[in-house]
Amino acid sequence: MAVHVLTINGKQQAIDADPEMPLLWVLRDLLLLTGTKYGCGVGICGACSILEGHLPVRACQVSLHQTAGKSYTTIEGLSAAGDHPCQRAWIDEDVSQCGYCQAGMIMSAAALLHRIPKPTDADIDEAMSNSVCRCGTYQRMRRAIHKAATQRSKA
Amino acid sequence: MNDIDRRAFLKASAQASAGFAVAFYLPEPKASAESEPSVFEPNAYISIARDNKVTLWVTRSEMGQGVRTNLPAALAEELDVDLARVNLQQAMPGARFKGIRLRTSGSGSSSGTFGSLRKAGATAREMLIAAAASTWNVDRTSCRADSGAVFHVPSGRSLSYGELVAKAAQQPVPVNPPLKNPATFRLIGKPLKRIDAPQIVRGTAVYGLDVHVPGMLFAVIERCPYLGGRLVSFDANKALQVPQVRGVFPITKGISTGVAVVGDNTWAALKGREALKVEWNPGPNQNFDSEVFAHELESAFALDGYPIRRDGDAPHALQNSSKTLDAVYHYPFEAHAPVETMNCIADVREDSCEVWVSTQTPETAHENIMKMLGLPSERIKVHTTLVGGGFGRRLFVDYVDEAVELSKQLGKPVKVLWTRTDDTRHGFFHPASAEQMRAGIDADGRILAWVHKSVGSDLSMFGLPTAEQMKDLQRYAKDEAPWGAFDTPYNFSALKVDYVPVDSPVPTGAWRSVDYPSRVFARESFLDEVARAAGRDPLQLRIDLLAPGDILKLGDQNIDRGRMIRVLELSREKSNWLQPLNPTANRLRGRGLAINIYEGESYIAQVAEVSLARDLSDLKIERIVCVVDCGFPINPLGLEGQVESGITWGLSATLHGKIDFQKGQVVQQSYRDFRVMRMNEMPRIETHIVPSISSPGGFGEHAVPPVAPAVANAIFDATGKRLRRLPFAAGSLEKAI
Repeated sequence: MAVHVLTINGKQQAIDADPEMPLLWVLRDLLLLTGTKYGCGVGICGACSILEGHLPVRACQVSLHQTAGKSYTTIEGLSAAGDHPCQRAWIDEDVSQCGYCQAGMIMSAAALLHRIPKPTDADIDEAMSNSVCRCGTYQRMRRAIHKAATQRSKA
Repeated sequence: MNDIDRRAFLKASAQASAGFAVAFYLPEPKASAESEPSVFEPNAYISIARDNKVTLWVTRSEMGQGVRTNLPAALAEELDVDLARVNLQQAMPGARFKGIRLRTSGSGSSSGTFGSLRKAGATAREMLIAAAASTWNVDRTSCRADSGAVFHVPSGRSLSYGELVAKAAQQPVPVNPPLKNPATFRLIGKPLKRIDAPQIVRGTAVYGLDVHVPGMLFAVIERCPYLGGRLVSFDANKALQVPQVRGVFPITKGISTGVAVVGDNTWAALKGREALKVEWNPGPNQNFDSEVFAHELESAFALDGYPIRRDGDAPHALQNSSKTLDAVYHYPFEAHAPVETMNCIADVREDSCEVWVSTQTPETAHENIMKMLGLPSERIKVHTTLVGGGFGRRLFVDYVDEAVELSKQLGKPVKVLWTRTDDTRHGFFHPASAEQMRAGIDADGRILAWVHKSVGSDLSMFGLPTAEQMKDLQRYAKDEAPWGAFDTPYNFSALKVDYVPVDSPVPTGAWRSVDYPSRVFARESFLDEVARAAGRDPLQLRIDLLAPGDILKLGDQNIDRGRMIRVLELSREKSNWLQPLNPTANRLRGRGLAINIYEGESYIAQVAEVSLARDLSDLKIERIVCVVDCGFPINPLGLEGQVESGITWGLSATLHGKIDFQKGQVVQQSYRDFRVMRMNEMPRIETHIVPSISSPGGFGEHAVPPVAPAVANAIFDATGKRLRRLPFAAGSLEKAI
C-alpha cells in the first residue's frame, strides 16, 4: 500500500492502495465512480475509456503508480450538467441500447472532438474502432458524433 | 427445466394468450386503522399516490431492447399520464407479481405484454373516471381523462388523479375496459427515445456490476476449464498471502465447480486468484474437440432422425428431377459475449437473502435461492438492475447461484465478478450444427423437391430428453423445431425436413434468435444456389415460391405469405435490386438477398452489398437494406435500433466470431480471439418499416438470421464462390470450392 495523489474530475484525491492497482478498480471499487465500466481488463474493449488530460486512456491499463500528479476525467466529470455536446447528441440520436459501453464510447468521442473538431468518417473509424458495442449502435454513434461536432462549432 | 416447454420458454407468442390476462394485484389489507387508501393500485403495474406521483412497474429486464421505454409507454398511453413524469420501478419476484412473467426472452417483451399493459392502464383510467363522475354526480360519458386528471367536459371542472385516489380504489374493476382507438395514440407507435438515456450518458445508470452494498467484499472464481471436469483440491496459502485477500472458498454451484478468492476489492481478488494453486479432474470430455464434432455432425446425416415436415413425396420428386443439387452448411458454436460480463451481488443472512443482478430471469434466481437456502419466498429479494447485454446468456442464473453460495459461506455481502476470460470460456453456447440440403429442379428451372436434414444439439438449458421421451418420433415437430427448418415458408411441391439430434458435452442455451441463424443460413443460401442453377432471379423466385400469398398454418403459427411478398417487393425497390452493381477496376461487387419469418409474426428481408479486392481479399460489407413487417410498430425508433443491432450481431457471427474447443476446453479468451464487429467494419444499414396494423410482433432477435445468408449470397454474386461454413474469416474464400 502507498498513498498516491491524483486529480479526478477536478478534485484532488489521495488514494492508499496497491501501486499496481489499475485505475479502473480505483475508480470503481474505492471511489465508487462506477460510470467507468469493466469490459475486458486487458485494453481491447474500450468500456473503461477515460481522459488523461485530453487524451483517451484505458483505465484498466493505467496502474495507480503511473497516475501521480496527473488529472483524469471520467464520464461523471465530462460536463457539470451532463450536457457535453456528445451527451446531448447521444440522447438526440437515441444511440444507447443496453448502454453499458456508452460511457466509454462518449469519452472516446469527446477526446476525438477535442483533437479534431470536425472529424470525417475515417477519423471517427480510427478513434472509435478500439471499442466494442455488442448491441451494435455504431451507426447512430457515428451520427451522434457528427451532430456533436456541429453543435460544438456553434457553441 | 425438463418440464418447461422449450418454445413457450423462449418465444413470446406461444404464451401470448395466457399472458394477456391482467393479473390483479390486491394490496394486503393494512394492519393500521387507516380509513382511506393512500395509493390507488388497481393492478400490479400501476400505483397512483395522493400527491399525484404515478409509479409504473416494468416487468421485463432492460437489456437494450427498450422495455423500460416501451412497456411504460403502453401503460401511460391508456392511463393518460405524461410518460416523462412517471416514476419507474423494476418488478421484483414475489407476491406483487405472482402470475406475471418477469422473464425476458423470445423477443416478446414489448409485443407479448402490449395487450395486458394497455388493459391494465385502461382499467385504472376507467376507475379514475368513474370516481370523478361519482364525485360530481354526473354521467361518466361526459368525463374524459387527460394528462393525469379527469375533466368534466361540459363544466370544465377537473380533478387530478391524486385527488381521486381514495374514491377510485372503491370503484368496481371493469372486466373489459375500453381501449383507445389507435388513431388517438400519443405514445404508442410514435418514435420514443430511451427513457434511461440521460442516466446512461452521464454514467449514473446502474448495472449489476455497479451496485455497491455497504460492507461488501469482492470475489473472482477460478472455474474448472474442462467441460464436465471437477475440482479435486486447491492450495490457498499463496493466495491468502496477497494483501487484502480475505478468504478462499470452494464453489460447488454454478456452471462448473471452482474456487472463489475474496478480497477487499476486485484487484486484490484478481491477484489472489493468480496465486491460487488448483488441481482439476478433467473428467470425461477432456478430448472433446469441435473440429472432430463437426465431422460427427456430418456423420449423422446417415441417420433417419425425426420427421419434421412432409409435403408431397420429396424422395420420389428428387428421382424425377432433371438436376439435383446437394450442399452441406455448418454453423459453429457461438458465445454471447455481452460487454457487461456475468456478475452478481449476494447478501445472505441467517433468515434472508438479497441479491442484485443483471439477469433476464429474476424469477429463476428467486426460485433457486429458495431451494438453496430453504428460505420462504418473502425473505428473498432479487433486484433486477439494468442489464449490460443479455442475448440469452442471462436466461441462466449460474452466476447468482455462485454468489449466493459464497455469501453464505462468508456471512457477508459479496460481489462476484467474471473476468472477460471467465465469461468467454464458461458460457451456455449456441450449439454447432450442420445442415444437409438437397433440391431437385426440372429442365425449366422449376423446383420439384426440397430436402433439408438438420443435425444439431438440443439446448442443454432444458436438460436433455429421456430415452422414453426420445421414442416419440413427433417430439421435435410438435415443438416446432428446429426453427427456420420447421417453418420453411416456401410453397415447394415436395418438401421433406428431418432433424437428427447429436449430443455434445458443451453447455448450450438460447443465443440471439436461437435455432434460426444456422437453419436460415442454410435455407436461404441454398435457395440462392438453386436459383442460380435454375437461372432464376433469387428475389422473384422467392416471391413465386410464396405465391399466391396465402396463409400457411404450421402448428401454432400462421405464416402470412402475402406479408412476406410485400416485404420482398419493397426490398426490390429500396435496394435497387434490378439495377446492376458496377464492379470497378480494383474491386468486385455483389448483392445478395435472404429472408426470414419469425414465428409467423415478423417478416424480414435483407439485401446485402459487398465488395472485395480482385484477389478476393479485403471483404467489405458495404450496405444492408432491411425491410421489416413486424406488425404494428410499438416504437419505430426502437425497432430501427433493433434492426441495426441484430444486423451487427449477425455480421459478427458471419465475419468473425466462433467458439472452438480443444482438449475439452474453450480455446478463445476474449474479444481478441472471439472478435465482434467494430465501427470501422460497419456497412451502411437502411431500415424500412412496413406500415401495419397487424398485432405487434417481436423484434429483439429477428434481424439476426438473414444476415449470414444475405452476405454469403452477395459474396457468390461478386465472386462465384460459395461459402457454406461460418465465419467467413480471412482465407475462407481462397479455400471455398
